[in-house]
Parts: sequence; C-alpha cells; structure tokens
Amino acid sequence: MIITYEDIIIRTLTRVLAPFLQLYALYVIAHGHYSPGGGFQGGVILAASFILMVISFGLDMTRRRLSEKVDIIFLCLGLIIYSGTGALCLALGGNFLDYRELTKLLPVTIAKARALGILFVETGVGFGVMAVMTSLVYDISTGGLPPERR
Amino acid sequence: MEVTVLIQATDEAFKIIEESRNRALDVLNTSVRFTAEAKLLEEKKIQAIFKGAERTKSEVLSFLATFALLFFPLWMPLSGFFDVFHLSIGAGCCALVAYISHDLLFVNVRVGDMRTIVKRFFAYIPWLIYQIYLANIHVLKIVLNPKMPINPAIIRFKTKLDSDISLVTFANSITLTPGTITVEIKEGEYYVHAIDEAVAYDLLYGGEMEDRVAHVFMEAEHVYVQDVLDVARIYGALR
Repeated sequence: MIITYEDIIIRTLTRVLAPFLQLYALYVIAHGHYSPGGGFQGGVILAASFILMVISFGLDMTRRRLSEKVDIIFLCLGLIIYSGTGALCLALGGNFLDYRELTKLLPVTIAKARALGILFVETGVGFGVMAVMTSLVYDISTGGLPPERR
Repeated sequence: MEVTVLIQATDEAFKIIEESRNRALDVLNTSVRFTAEAKLLEEKKIQAIFKGAERTKSEVLSFLATFALLFFPLWMPLSGFFDVFHLSIGAGCCALVAYISHDLLFVNVRVGDMRTIVKRFFAYIPWLIYQIYLANIHVLKIVLNPKMPINPAIIRFKTKLDSDISLVTFANSITLTPGTITVEIKEGEYYVHAIDEAVAYDLLYGGEMEDRVAHVFMEAEHVYVQDVLDVARIYGALR
C-alpha cells in the first residue's frame, strides 16, 4: 500500500511541476522523428508525472484524474494506433510498417510520409507505454485487488 | 326568554365569525410562509446557477491560463518549428495537458495580484543569489578552518507565512542557502538543520528572508517594512 503523507513542500512542488512534465513528455513524443527521444521515452515521462502524483497526492486523488478505465482505454488506443498504422501499410500493398505506402492515401512526398508514419507509430507507443506504466503502479499500490475488496 | 336566545344566537354568530377569521388568518399565514419558502428555494436555485457559472468561468480561465503558460514559453522554444503542422500539434498537446491538469497550477489565486507577485518574485531572486553567495563564503571559512568550528543542530521556529506557495518558497530558499537545510514543515513550524550557531541565530532572530518572502506573496495579515517604504514613496509623490 502507498500511504499518503502530508508534506506541503512535496505536494506543492508536484502540483507546480506536473503540467510541465506532461507537456515535456508530449513534446518528446511529437518530436521523436527530429530529435532524440520518441514514443517510449515520452510515454515513460508521461507515466512518471502520474506516478509522482500517486506518490505525493495518493492513489485516490490520482485515480480521479486518470481512472483505471481511461487508463485501459489509452492502452488499447495505443495498441490500435500502432498496429493499425502497420496494418494499413500492409493493406496498401507494402510490408508491415512500410510507411512509403502512405503516399497513396496522403498528398505528400515519400520522405514526409515516412515522417508522418513514424509520428503515428510513436503516438501509439507513447500512449501504450504510459498506460502500462501507470496501471503497473496502480496494481502494485492496491495489491491488485478490485476496488470493492480494498 | 327571547332576549336570552337572541343574545346566545348573537354570541354564537360572533364566535363563528371569530373562528372563521382565525382560520382565514391561518390560511393566509401558511400561504405567506409557503410563498416565502418557495421564494427562498428559487433564490437558492438562482444562486446555485450563478455559483456554477462562476466555477465554470474560473475553470475556463485557469484552462486558458495553463494553456498560454504551457504553449508560449515552453512549447515554442522547445519545438523550434513554426509551421502550421507543428504549431497545431503543439496546440493539441497543450490543450490535452491543460484539460487534464488545469486545476493544478492555479489554486487560490487572488485576482489582480498575479502581476505584482511575478514582478516581486523576480526582484527577490537577485537578493537570494547574493544571500547564497554570502553563505557560501561563511561555509568556506568553516571548511578551511583547521579547528572545524561546527555545531550542527536542528532548530525549530514558528512561521508567520500561511499560503502553501510562500511556505515552499521560503523552505527552498533555506535549502538553497549553504549551511541550512529544511527538514520538514509541520503545523506552521519549520524544522531546519543548521551547521553552526551563527546560521541558526540568523534564522531564529533575523527573519529577513521570511519577511521578503511574505512581501513577495503579499501575505495579508502583516505589515512589512518594504510595504511601508513602497507606500511612503507614493505618499510623497501625492503630496
């Protein structure tokens, strides 16, 4: 169990820091094809902001912000985006995750299509990693019990 | 005989009239009460609507403020691309983050104070750096002294600050200053680890840093020297 502890310094700093952490994570995800970083790293930073909230504010307060249901939805969404992009390329006649085939759908050059494909895939990976990390922490801190048996 | 019957009849009639009057009064009173209650309920309903609207308004305001604070000073320099595609991605990401955590950044904001607080905060930073510089020299002297004149202790003192952001600013200012570390804030008392007496006395009886933090965040209950000085200048100009 994670026990909440009233520490005004940690709480206030978490409150001020969390939005910037989340935006930085989204920046890392969105610019993964131009600069270091990418879906996995950004997803982990995004999850870290929620884990920070679990540690400093407690589980209930964090679950009000990001409930387990929404978490699972994000997990599935990430997987669907990732495999959907791959399968779309497959359906358009290329290999799995062969972004070149996206030029048949979008009015862009091949290089642009590759960048866009990487962006889609990274968004999926980011959401998936964030959801898995957060749900791991939720499960550890509740002992894996459903809400009515805690 | 007839007279007594007549008198009795009149009495009865008067009684009946009295009773009906009372009943009518009762009915009237009840109706008035009901009307008042209905009115009160209506007023409450209207108030609730207004309060709800106010809350929605403050939520929208904090959403917009968070969005602006994230988008312009953070996303734009980080991203470095100013084409429509990247800016729209940035707007989407900032909107998502602002939607998730718009209630985190702006809590208990007194309207109209924000500008003054930011201005005073940036004026406070150079003073803090100078203070850190002084404390560095003090600790350097202790370190270089072969006798090592330290006397570490945890001191406890009451604070006059009350908002959480000013408490945290003061605590972090203490921690940033070499020789002192804030261990805990508990029930309005600071527990600070100090390296020797000079530093501890400075915290216990000096209190200039606390005054300055209170001045930055405009803690309402106290009058500080700096405030008086600010007002004095305006007063002189007015005269």
